[in-house]
Amino acid sequence: MPGRQLIMSFPVTATSHGLPDYRARGGYGALAKTLGQMKPQDVVKEVTASGLQGRGGAAFAVGRKWQVVQYDDGQPHYLIANADEGEPGTFKDRWILENNPHVLLESMLIASYALNVRNCFVYIRGEFDLPYRRLADAVEEAYAAGLFGRNILGSDFSCDIVVYRGAGAYVAGEASGLISSLEGKKGYPRNRPPRLTVRGLYQRPTVVNNVESLSNIAWIISNGADAFKAVGTPKSPGTRLFSVSGHINRPGVYEVELGYPWMKFLDEDCGGVPHGRAIKCVVPGGVSSKVLTGADIANLKLSHEDLWDAGSTLGSGGMIVIAEGTCMVALLQVLMRFYHHESCGQCTPCRHGTGWLHRILDRIVAGDGRADDIERLYYISKFNDGTTICGLGDAAGYACSGILDKFRDEFEYCIEHKRSKFGGNLECLRSS
Amino acid sequence: MPEIFINGQAIEARDDQTVMEVAREHGHFIPYFCWHPQLSVVGNCRMCLVEVEGRGLDIACNMPVAKGMQVFTNSEEVQAHRKAILQFITLNHPVDCGICDKAGECTLQDYHYEYSGQRSLSHDEKVRSTKFYNLSNRILLDNERCILCLRCTRFTHEVSKSMALGVERRGDISNIRPVEDRPLSEDPYSDNIVDICPVGALLSRQFLHKSRVWFLQPTPSVCPGCARGCTVQIWHRKPEWKLKALDPRQNENIARVTPLDNPAVNGPWICNKGRDLAQMFERARADEPMLKGRPVAVPAALDEARRLIGAARHPVALVSNWGSNEELEAFKDKLGEVFHCFVKQDWQPQPGERIEDDLLIRGDKNPNTTRARELFGHAEPDFKDGTDLVLVWGEGFDFAGLPPRARIIFLNSYLQPENGHADVFLPVSIQTERHGHYTNFRGTVSAFEPCFEKKPGVLHAEDLIKALAAPARGHP
Repeated sequence: MPGRQLIMSFPVTATSHGLPDYRARGGYGALAKTLGQMKPQDVVKEVTASGLQGRGGAAFAVGRKWQVVQYDDGQPHYLIANADEGEPGTFKDRWILENNPHVLLESMLIASYALNVRNCFVYIRGEFDLPYRRLADAVEEAYAAGLFGRNILGSDFSCDIVVYRGAGAYVAGEASGLISSLEGKKGYPRNRPPRLTVRGLYQRPTVVNNVESLSNIAWIISNGADAFKAVGTPKSPGTRLFSVSGHINRPGVYEVELGYPWMKFLDEDCGGVPHGRAIKCVVPGGVSSKVLTGADIANLKLSHEDLWDAGSTLGSGGMIVIAEGTCMVALLQVLMRFYHHESCGQCTPCRHGTGWLHRILDRIVAGDGRADDIERLYYISKFNDGTTICGLGDAAGYACSGILDKFRDEFEYCIEHKRSKFGGNLECLRSS
Repeated sequence: MPEIFINGQAIEARDDQTVMEVAREHGHFIPYFCWHPQLSVVGNCRMCLVEVEGRGLDIACNMPVAKGMQVFTNSEEVQAHRKAILQFITLNHPVDCGICDKAGECTLQDYHYEYSGQRSLSHDEKVRSTKFYNLSNRILLDNERCILCLRCTRFTHEVSKSMALGVERRGDISNIRPVEDRPLSEDPYSDNIVDICPVGALLSRQFLHKSRVWFLQPTPSVCPGCARGCTVQIWHRKPEWKLKALDPRQNENIARVTPLDNPAVNGPWICNKGRDLAQMFERARADEPMLKGRPVAVPAALDEARRLIGAARHPVALVSNWGSNEELEAFKDKLGEVFHCFVKQDWQPQPGERIEDDLLIRGDKNPNTTRARELFGHAEPDFKDGTDLVLVWGEGFDFAGLPPRARIIFLNSYLQPENGHADVFLPVSIQTERHGHYTNFRGTVSAFEPCFEKKPGVLHAEDLIKALAAPARGHP
């Protein structure tokens, strides 16, 4: 076990996702405590004090986001759980939705109580089938048990929940794109200002939190902010779910206490790289974070501050391990195909830039690279950074320039020799 | 009133303004494609990126002013980014200016010369898309030229409210497309999207490949299509581009009509009827006077008309509400005592035409009813017994409604069967051949200027009225 467990702290069985099992684990105790003993402001204070950071990618403090919402400004407020988990390599929220949906629901109730929310939403990725069914069942169970609806647990707090299925767009996982989609529009992200906590869903103050961020709330309320801060490192309290995939012996979702040594996690908990190969690089948190080479991560701990120092980020926790012998040109081509396909097409640099990156890489992989292509890739990455409405354009640029910075020689080789240094290989081969 | 600094100049801004608005008001030009003063902000073209000290680059159109902010609209960073944005925009744009109707007044073309001037950095094929896509019976869409600024979709959602356009698919294969159950052809304001399109993606079928815009000049005018009196620009060939090789009618025709931005009347919009003024003004014209259908010279016709007026005991005049203020005032002044005057409605709503709405279109389909009624009252035409002469001014009146014995003096511009039935027929000039003013339904007076020369046999109504009022032997 990589440290203490807050969310995955129980054995998964055939019934562990249901309400009876959740109650047996002490579930909905935090809700009862909240409604019985706490004022809404106390909940916000507790969450702020816990230092909980967003788990969706930007690691923005949850408490600070909540503080922007004025409790009684006379407007309806909305809370949205962002379950549109689309970042390549990331499948941690899926685990929560499949195996512990009630912790999300309980946390959303607590958050709704704290933020004066009458209607909250779960925007769930359209491709999620089992997670959707498990969540829908959980919502049904919760309604039947009087945990949603009017006068929850005999208090005067009422709250309803809507589970909305997306239609398969990566940008709809961006908070404002999600809101556009939830409103029934095309999932175009919106310009800030105004911030979503000022004008979000239906032009009202809206808090959008990642499923994992929200799922920590119940634990924080049950055990207190201090207990939460005791887990992890001072700058990155708590745990994180990592979805480990790629060239690794035991891929899957792991809950890791922040500050846990990275190589120890990969070698001991995840079983290391197949065939005893060395790690070429690791995508730390979804492909939108910059890759780190095996040497980079050797002494790093899994915490926000360590990753920031190393020039990358824990992002969404989608860790992809890439073994020695993998062709980075082909890998980047795959990534750029993804960004090209998922660009919503709203703003100019990303609409054309992602396609441009993709076409250049297609050409390089096909053995038709040109001398100025690398310079061009950098150019596109540079002018996508910070010029777009949402982060997709930036992310495509980061991913591209991140891999180029570290593996420029492979691209030069591929352009010069018109073939890949590693034969375009994306598998983890037995022998070199 | 926060004070902000644009390129070092201290400016007092209003709290609700964006940097774009402040900069425009104070003469700092920030280039933009998607922004439009009358439409909501989408901020998707990213052309208006400006640098704010301490905050880096952001778009000016969506940037609220903040006290003390230092904005730089032309720093090196901004210039580099503008160049890059133009690279991105032209990446898949066909750059077929040579065959594009918008060339010469295209924002992308202008900005390219102003801010980039670079060749494309791409070696790859452009994304192909549909060309000449049929949006409606009036508009074609070239998706390759489209830069997805979404002005057109916003226009149909926010101004004309037809909701007729949307975006299909995503990424660089996004296309503007009509919405299935809301045809653009039913939007009477649809042609405005051709004007607001910053590139040549939306094309007017009327104007398609008809003329290069630099052969044309605009003349300010007023749309006579309804009582709103929208100010328009009538585009026709510049004198130096009138070519002998062309059919004379091509040298003298209305190439297109565009709105003349006028906050007091119509803002930057006009309806499709206003675009079709050519259909109204380029009908067959009457160009010589007639006595009972027999062509005569102007003096002879005037003499006969004066004789009839002199001889009549109960003359009635039906005054056109297409007359300009000057003409109506001249009529009142010179002939108001002679005739018993009524206002005649020249035009009635046509089948299929939108009668009235909240945006521009008014139910009264004549330009100057307001001034005509002020001068000649609200009474409906009424022929008392003994009416022995009727002066009919303007088209659209059925002579069967006249008293059977009455003599008729008819003033009309177009070649119509009634012309030959009048005792005296006098051709008059149309709006595109004279100066004048119309008063709209709110009392706002707008001026129109002549675009073309009138034919020698045709008279300006104002001169004609003065001539009719002159003593019997006088000539105009």
